[in-house]
Amino acid sequence: MSELWDFFVVPLSYGFMQRALAAAILIGAVCSVLSCYLVLKGWSLMGDAVSHAVLPGIVIAFVLGLPLVVGAFAAGLACAVFTGYIKENSRVKEDTVMGIVFSGMFGLGLVLFTKVETEQHLSHILFGNILGITPADLIQVAIIAGGTLLIVLARRRDLLLYCFDPQHARAIGLPISVIHYALLTLLALTIVASMKAVGIILVVAMLVAPGATAYLLSDRFERMLAIAAGTSIGSSVVGTLVSFHIDGATGPCIVLMQAFVFVLAFLFAPRRGVFAMRRST
Amino acid sequence: MSELLVPFEYDYMLKAMFVSALVGAVCAFLSAYLMLKGWSLIGDALGHSVVPGVAGAYMLHLPYAAGAFFAGLLAALGMALVKQRTRLREDAIIGLVFTAFFAAGLLMASLYPTSVSIQTIVLGNILGISDADVIQVIIIASVSLAILMVKWRDLMVVFFDESHARAIGINPNALKILFFTLLAACTVAALQTVGACLVIAMVVTPGATAYLLTDRFGRLLVLAVAIGASTSFLGAYISYFLDGATGGVIVTLQTLVFLTAFYFAPKHGVLARRRGHPGDAAEGMVP
Repeated sequence: MSELWDFFVVPLSYGFMQRALAAAILIGAVCSVLSCYLVLKGWSLMGDAVSHAVLPGIVIAFVLGLPLVVGAFAAGLACAVFTGYIKENSRVKEDTVMGIVFSGMFGLGLVLFTKVETEQHLSHILFGNILGITPADLIQVAIIAGGTLLIVLARRRDLLLYCFDPQHARAIGLPISVIHYALLTLLALTIVASMKAVGIILVVAMLVAPGATAYLLSDRFERMLAIAAGTSIGSSVVGTLVSFHIDGATGPCIVLMQAFVFVLAFLFAPRRGVFAMRRST
Repeated sequence: MSELLVPFEYDYMLKAMFVSALVGAVCAFLSAYLMLKGWSLIGDALGHSVVPGVAGAYMLHLPYAAGAFFAGLLAALGMALVKQRTRLREDAIIGLVFTAFFAAGLLMASLYPTSVSIQTIVLGNILGISDADVIQVIIIASVSLAILMVKWRDLMVVFFDESHARAIGINPNALKILFFTLLAACTVAALQTVGACLVIAMVVTPGATAYLLTDRFGRLLVLAVAIGASTSFLGAYISYFLDGATGGVIVTLQTLVFLTAFYFAPKHGVLARRRGHPGDAAEGMVP
């Protein structure tokens, strides 16, 4: 028992671990809520695309002396807008366009990064550095994540209707394109908030896994949101603690913990799990 | 003038440029099929999924291609299993599996930083590639290219019209398996040139660019391969002057070529359409 106690309590005696855990909880919460919508809407690739595309924005913001989150946010949104524009004006399929745009932006970001002397470490941007998070960073994360979370929860019915049935949403007079871009904006904000913790490459995992896990466990959307938030926050905390104890990278530990929870749900979900289905047939 | 020829004086630069061109060519060949089917996410997923295999192979001093292949296969099986057993959308399953694999690779690299350079795997390092790796890349790429040269017509028939393919005695499933094996192999080769994150550009962008320039599939293949090979060669060449980021330069070039085609393509470009070819977008592809 005392070993379990140590597992949780020893890390808390360090200031950097307290901040890391606080950030993990915030980011786990906001990503999980967004992930429910992305999973229903089929936007996993969009999460992947926007997250990669923020790289040039970070470098350009650094050159111009702007806050990095502003550049990242603008670049993420630009990726979605370019994708929409090219798709409207050519006969290339949407997923292909998205692949072209985000890989192009990521490639450009890498080239810019080697040419510009920044104080940022490329590996911290790509893979995150939650253990090195400063109090100022934490406040920033709290503001962005908290704001996003509030907006999503306040408008959760409209967003849900848009994801499930855009036609119906249009019919009852919801402004479809406003909701579309609002969801993109929220996605970009979430990615910007998560960047510091898990990095821009792994954030897509945080944006898919909780929603997918919850989808296996519940048929009701409200419950799905709650389950996603619970599993996501739980795995973020445990992943951070594990990475402390095994001295491994934190972002990957969180993601693997989420994947582990998904596998558990996949096997043992009461109604849709592999074993439940086997019993019923 | 002579400064521009400097890269040709170094063995490692010649090696980098020609290996890149070869990989660019074969990836572009596959891109023609991939973008027609809307399978871009699969290309991206494969690129990320092989990372733990590569990390493991470097740790155990095995050929990196073997590890990559094994991991890619495991990921494909995992996706198929989850797909069969759940009601989740395909894109969510792909996203879930490839990020989990990628995270496993990153974790392995963070635990054993001396034997695995994560930067190399994720961003590629064709300028510093070891001879053993060069040989693997050349073998993979040339064998794949040879198979594609022989089978391109059969693959085309399968991807355009499966029932027709079956009618003329082609086994679509066998060819699809062949295609995905080739795709996995080329992903592994591209990993060395542009890295895991940019593999998707190599297997998508040249095909999409060529798609804007022609309506005939045979010509599309030729154009895509030409674009893939030349941008990769040029990208490696330019990266000499930038001191690195070869993958980034190659992909930026490919994107620029795509944007040029997007605006100025004779028939399907934005400008041509503005001049009065509305409706061309709907026109399909002719085999």
